[in-house]
Amino acid sequence: MIRVENVRKSFGQTPVLDGVDLTIAPGEVVSILGSSGSGKSTLIRCINGLERLSGGRIMVDEFDVSMPKELAEARKRSGTVFQLFNLYPHMTVLGNITLAPIEVLKKPRGEAEARARALLESVGLGGRADAYPAQLSGGQRQRVGICRALAMQPRYLLLDEVTSALDPEMTAEVLTILAKLAQDGTTMLFVTHEVEFARQISDRIVFLDKGRLLVDLPTKDFFDNSGGMAQPRVAQFLSKMRKD
Amino acid sequence: MRFTDFTAFDLVLLAQGLGVNLALFLGTSLIGLVIGIAWAIVRYYRVPVLSAFITFFSELLKNSPVLVQLFLVFFGLPGLLHIRVTPVTAAAITLSANTAAFVYVIAVSGIESIGRDQLEAARVFGLSRWQVLRHIVAPQAAAFALGPLIALLVNQLQVTSLISVIGVVDLTKIGNILNMRTLKPFVVWTAVGLLYFAAAKLVAFAGSRFEKRLRAHSAWRGL
Repeated sequence: MIRVENVRKSFGQTPVLDGVDLTIAPGEVVSILGSSGSGKSTLIRCINGLERLSGGRIMVDEFDVSMPKELAEARKRSGTVFQLFNLYPHMTVLGNITLAPIEVLKKPRGEAEARARALLESVGLGGRADAYPAQLSGGQRQRVGICRALAMQPRYLLLDEVTSALDPEMTAEVLTILAKLAQDGTTMLFVTHEVEFARQISDRIVFLDKGRLLVDLPTKDFFDNSGGMAQPRVAQFLSKMRKD
Repeated sequence: MRFTDFTAFDLVLLAQGLGVNLALFLGTSLIGLVIGIAWAIVRYYRVPVLSAFITFFSELLKNSPVLVQLFLVFFGLPGLLHIRVTPVTAAAITLSANTAAFVYVIAVSGIESIGRDQLEAARVFGLSRWQVLRHIVAPQAAAFALGPLIALLVNQLQVTSLISVIGVVDLTKIGNILNMRTLKPFVVWTAVGLLYFAAAKLVAFAGSRFEKRLRAHSAWRGL
């Protein structure tokens, strides 16, 4: 269970998150929607400890991410996939995926590599284990990014606008994999602009606006006229996204 | 054969002088590399006070003439500390420190060339600062720094000629002596210059060979 309790975060004088409460239960797929600058990515970066909270608390299972000693444990439980992939360019695909399992989880190299190859196979990149990131397309890189996160066998997968840097075809490649993960019961927190896709895979949808959590509803209710759409801000956002 | 003739044996003398330069160059480069990289690691760990001190000290070394540093160590230190400093020791200390200061700057810029995004990815997967340095930062920083480092070393080889001023009998010093004996400055200094040139080219060649070999091993792109 990830519990976000009254979290506040400001950069200098600018508040980015303003009292956010959110709970993600094991097995749930929760999508976070909101316009750019609404604090979606910052929320993810607070959960994985890349940003320090200005106030409130985030618990990943029983570990408080604000405590340096507990952060390490919290990080072992969550895996992050980044918007710009953030792969290590000097390592092969296999090296990228096995680095943390070998160094952090102390897995034997053989075991880590076997698992990495199985993961690559499952995302259709079985033959590219020895390629370098620069030799891959954007969609392939992001699939490697997903494998890298899954290799740590995280309980929670944090996805930060993972298709924003991809063209529609590559986006489809990546979304297919995420849909499969969702079906397999992977717990996911999914920051995205892909409204239709969020609708298909999410159990719940959360809407952030100017750092505040405006709506937190089951997916069906979110798109209902008496639910999320009753909020003018949400209706406005969705109508704009659909036009695009 | 007249006293003022420039003979084949003089070339042997010059070669011996070059040996002194090369020995000092190799020794001080090695020490300078180790110290400079150690300083950069101290800075990477953001050790308070020490990091600031190192940066300040390396600025002093980078922004003052090596000749003045050499005089300070050779004439200044013995007077201050009441110790004896031989010309070779003074040369070794000065050149090592000077090389370290430049290696430090190159190493720091190599470390800073690594994108924040990669460091964040490593951090969220739980790698320690040392593991990040070893597996992510160091290999890429080394590839980034190799070119500037080779250029620095070629330059530091020329700088060794300054040690002749405090009495180390190196290539330049022997050139000076031969010049006074033969009274053929054009011949002597051409020979001296060519020997430095050959040595510098050798360093550059070895460096680029090393760089090529390193790059052949990895198909790194975008670095």
